[in-house]
Amino acid sequence: MVCKWIIGAGEFLDIAFEAWQRAFPEITVKKIIVPQNSKYEFDLSTLQTLSPSDGSAFVAFDERFGNFKRMELMSAVIQLGFKLDSFISPRAIIASNVKIGPNTLISDGTIIGYGSSIEYNSVLMPGVQIGSGTQVRPSCWIEAGVLIGNNVKIGAHCTFRTGVSIRHGLDIGRYCELGWPQCYEKNIAPKTIFDSRYDAPIYTYQN
Amino acid sequence: MRSRMLPRYYLDADIFEREQRKIFHRLWLFAGLKTLLTQHNTFITRKIAGIPIVIQNFHGKLRAFENTCLHRSALIQSEPVGRRPLVCAYHAWRYGENGQVDSIPDCEKNYRFGEKEKCGLKLREFPLEIIGNILFINLDPHPLPLIEQFSIDFLESLKDSSSAYDTEVMVTTWRGNYNWKLAYENLRDANHPRFVHPKSLARIVDFRPNVDEAQLQESLRELQDMTQEGLRQEMRAFSYGGRDTAIENMQQFGWHELVERWGNEDVYYNWLAYPNLHIASANGGHSFTIEHHIPISSGVTDMEVYRFTSRKKRSFAFSNAVLLAEMHGSKLVTGEDVEVMEMVQKGLHHGAPISTQGAYESMNRIIERWYSTVMETEYGV
Repeated sequence: MVCKWIIGAGEFLDIAFEAWQRAFPEITVKKIIVPQNSKYEFDLSTLQTLSPSDGSAFVAFDERFGNFKRMELMSAVIQLGFKLDSFISPRAIIASNVKIGPNTLISDGTIIGYGSSIEYNSVLMPGVQIGSGTQVRPSCWIEAGVLIGNNVKIGAHCTFRTGVSIRHGLDIGRYCELGWPQCYEKNIAPKTIFDSRYDAPIYTYQN
Repeated sequence: MRSRMLPRYYLDADIFEREQRKIFHRLWLFAGLKTLLTQHNTFITRKIAGIPIVIQNFHGKLRAFENTCLHRSALIQSEPVGRRPLVCAYHAWRYGENGQVDSIPDCEKNYRFGEKEKCGLKLREFPLEIIGNILFINLDPHPLPLIEQFSIDFLESLKDSSSAYDTEVMVTTWRGNYNWKLAYENLRDANHPRFVHPKSLARIVDFRPNVDEAQLQESLRELQDMTQEGLRQEMRAFSYGGRDTAIENMQQFGWHELVERWGNEDVYYNWLAYPNLHIASANGGHSFTIEHHIPISSGVTDMEVYRFTSRKKRSFAFSNAVLLAEMHGSKLVTGEDVEVMEMVQKGLHHGAPISTQGAYESMNRIIERWYSTVMETEYGV
C-alpha cells in the first residue's frame, strides 16, 4: 500500500491532512504527529516506524519562528530518506507554466498567474491571488485572501497575513512579516515586521 | 510616607517644559548604539529632546550634529539608519566631518556667498561620549562631565556589558499615554512584578522588594546640599545596575550556544541610567533589551525598544526569528507595565491624593527629593 504521510503538529497539520484527504480520496493519507520538547526541539521518534520506500510525505507545520520550524522539520524528514510532495488543490487556478517546488501547499481557490513561481516549503491558504511573473521564494506563508500583484519579488521566509495586498512590481525582502491589513505600495527592506500588535513597524539593522 | 511627587509633575505643560530645560537639555542622554556605526558614512538619526540629530561615522570618528540643513532646513539624513555621505537631498549641500559646508553645487553662480559667509556655515555640533557600544549625547553647549552624572563603577559596568552586544539590532517604538517618570518609578519598584506580571516575567524571575535601612533613613531627610555640585553628587546614585536577581532553572534554547554569552551566571541583569534609559538581560547575558523612554508631552511617552543578542559566534539564518521572539516577549511584559502606567496616568488630576509610599521605595523617594528640588527652585545641575 502506498501511503501519503502528513507529518507535523498543530492546527495546520489538521488543515493539511483534511485537504489531502478531501482532494485525493483514492490515496491512503495518514497523519503523523511530531511533538516538541520544552526547548521546541522536534522529537522524531514517531517517524522511526515508517519506511520511506512505502510512500511519500508532506510536512505541515505553521509559520512560527519565521517559518524556520517548518523548514527544520522538512530538512529532518528529507534526511531520513522521505520523498516530499506538494499539495495542489484541484480547485486552484494555476497558469500552465507556473513552477511549484516540493512541500508546497496551494489551497482551494488560489489563483496563480502566468510565469510565476512558488518555491519549496511555501504555503498559500485559500483564495490567495498571485499575478503574473511573481516570484515567491522558499518557506513563505501566505494567508487566506492575500492579493499579490504582477512581477512582485518575495524573499524567503516571508509571512503575509489576511488583509494584505501588494502592488505590482514591488520587492519584499526576505524574513518580512506583513501583518497590517493594508495595501503595501513601497519596497520593503529585509527583516521588516508589520505586526498588528505594534503601532510602528519593527526594523532590523545590521552593519 | 507621603510621596514628594505632586500630580502636576505628571500633568502640567510648564513642568514638562522645565524638565526639558533643566534635565533633558543638561544631562547626558542615550543617543544610540555604536554597533550600527561601524563603517565610514554609516549614520543614525534621532530626535532628542525635540532636536533632530544625526550621528555619523567619518572615517572612524563619530560626530553628532543637528540634522537640519543650513539652507532650507530640510533633514540632511532622512532614514533612521543608513550609509550615505552627509549631503542634503534638497539642493545637495554637502557637509564634512566638522559640520562645515564642504561643497554647494553652483555656489558662485547661484548663491554668491562671500568667503567669510561660506566659512561660517557650520552645523551645530553636540558632544558625544562613547561607553563601550553605547552612545551618550549632551545638548548643553557646556556639558557637565560624564563622570559627574554617572559613577565610574556604573560606566565600567556599561562598558564591559555593552562590549558583548551583537551588531544585528531589532528596533521599534511604542507610544504610550503616560508620563515618562512613571516608567522609571515602576522599574525601580521590585514589588510590582508578582502582581503585574504573574504569567510572564514573574514566572521566570522571582523579584523581591527589600528595605535598605540606610537608604530609608536618608530618604526621610530633606536634601541638604542644593548647590550644583551637591545636586550632581546626589544624581550619581540614581544610575546603577548589573546583577539583579538569580533565575532558578533558567530556560535554555538552542541559539544560546551560538552566541558569546556575557557573564556566566543565570541571573537577571538590570541597568538604569538616569533619566531615561533602561537596559536588561532576562536570560543571563545571552541577549539584551534597551528601553529608551522619550518624553513627547506630559502625558505621552515614546518607548524605543532595541533587541539584540550577545555577539554571535557565527551568523545563523534564524537570528532574526530569535530577535522577533525576544521582541514579542518584551511586548508582552512591557505591555503589562504600560497598561498599569496608563491607568495611573488616567487617574491623575490636580486634586488627586499624594501617593503613600512604603519603606522599600526609598530610592524612588530619594530621586523624588532631587527632582522636586530641581523643579521647584532655581537650583540645577
